[in-house]
Amino acid sequence: MNTSVKQPSSRFRRLGVAVVLAAGALGLSSAVQAAAGKIPRLANGKPDFSGIWQTTSAADYDLEPHANRKDAPPFAGAVEGGTIPYLPKALEQKKKNFAARATDDPALKGYTLGVPRGIYYPEPFQIFQRKQDLTQVFQFGHSVRTIYTNETDHPKDPYDWWLGDSRGHWEGDTLVVDARFFNDKTWFDRAGNFHSDQLHVVERWTYLDPNTIEYKATVEDPQVFSRPWNVGVILYRHREKDFQLIEDYRFTLDYDEHYPPKPPAQ
Amino acid sequence: MSTKSKLVLGLALAGFLGATVPANAHHAFSAEFDAEQPIELKGTVTKLELVNPHSWLYLDVAQPDGSVANWGFEFGAPFSLKEKGVTKATLPVGSQVSIQGYRAKNGKNFGYAVTTVLADGRAVKTGGAQDAPGSQAAAQ
Repeated sequence: MNTSVKQPSSRFRRLGVAVVLAAGALGLSSAVQAAAGKIPRLANGKPDFSGIWQTTSAADYDLEPHANRKDAPPFAGAVEGGTIPYLPKALEQKKKNFAARATDDPALKGYTLGVPRGIYYPEPFQIFQRKQDLTQVFQFGHSVRTIYTNETDHPKDPYDWWLGDSRGHWEGDTLVVDARFFNDKTWFDRAGNFHSDQLHVVERWTYLDPNTIEYKATVEDPQVFSRPWNVGVILYRHREKDFQLIEDYRFTLDYDEHYPPKPPAQ
Repeated sequence: MSTKSKLVLGLALAGFLGATVPANAHHAFSAEFDAEQPIELKGTVTKLELVNPHSWLYLDVAQPDGSVANWGFEFGAPFSLKEKGVTKATLPVGSQVSIQGYRAKNGKNFGYAVTTVLADGRAVKTGGAQDAPGSQAAAQ
């Protein structure tokens, strides 16, 4: 090998080291890895989903295929097979929810969005990840969700959590999350698709490329559905300079005058 | 105590620390409940929702005319209930309880539980709104 070949390669390597050092100092190492075409990884080698993500799909309007509606853009649907397999009685409730969606959607009351709705709600959410857990912060309802990846099980005396209790494990480079112990106060979308407190969600998080996550969830609820069903969306990384989450108070502004609560009139 | 149960307790504590500050300030007693309408009801538990910022306990209550009415009571925060030894296992669906509290201002079958006597005779105090009658914030 002659020096004319060696020189460019070692210069390139030095440049690479300098870029990584600079990027590390600025906290941009994942962006550099992304530019290099490799998915970002934690020190333990597991994929690192840290970043701000958002779907471009219209799933939150209605998970099922829909068009020609005044209150929703047309959408081919995010449910595998098209429709959600409701039990007959639950389908009646879904129709009632749909008819009353302009007032009854829990999101319009500022309620925490739940799982999986928070993931495909058409606003950004942020992931912070460590070896032992993955934290999701939504810009809605002050919601923070923790997915434990420390090989612990669900608690034995659970509550009825808004975001359930989430325990994850790795299958190769896919994060598989088992979420259960929910309350029945959230909807899946603004079309009135709903669940009971028996909801059980199994999510699969996989990088398609350094800036794209494939998100899939299997939804099960024997009180509401005749069988488990699958929903999926693609999530894109926000790469705008200085992009950040801002809490969304749209739906509670009208109540501001009542808070903090005033003492009772004497 | 196993490492796992320590962890669960730690997580629960973290949840408590994160949840109770907004829970106390969540809403005023007077916004929803009427201090002039004390009520006392006996019934059969139909549902216990252990939800933050405060749980809800639902009862079927026999009416004088023989019918049954379902009542919902604002109950303690899940962690404060756990501290008092109240979980889904100790307050199961179908158990008998009696509740002293205050009725909702909207006149519907809702109320604010102050003292709940469980099937085993234990009395559990709940209700932490600062403006609730006879309440101290610490009583939650």
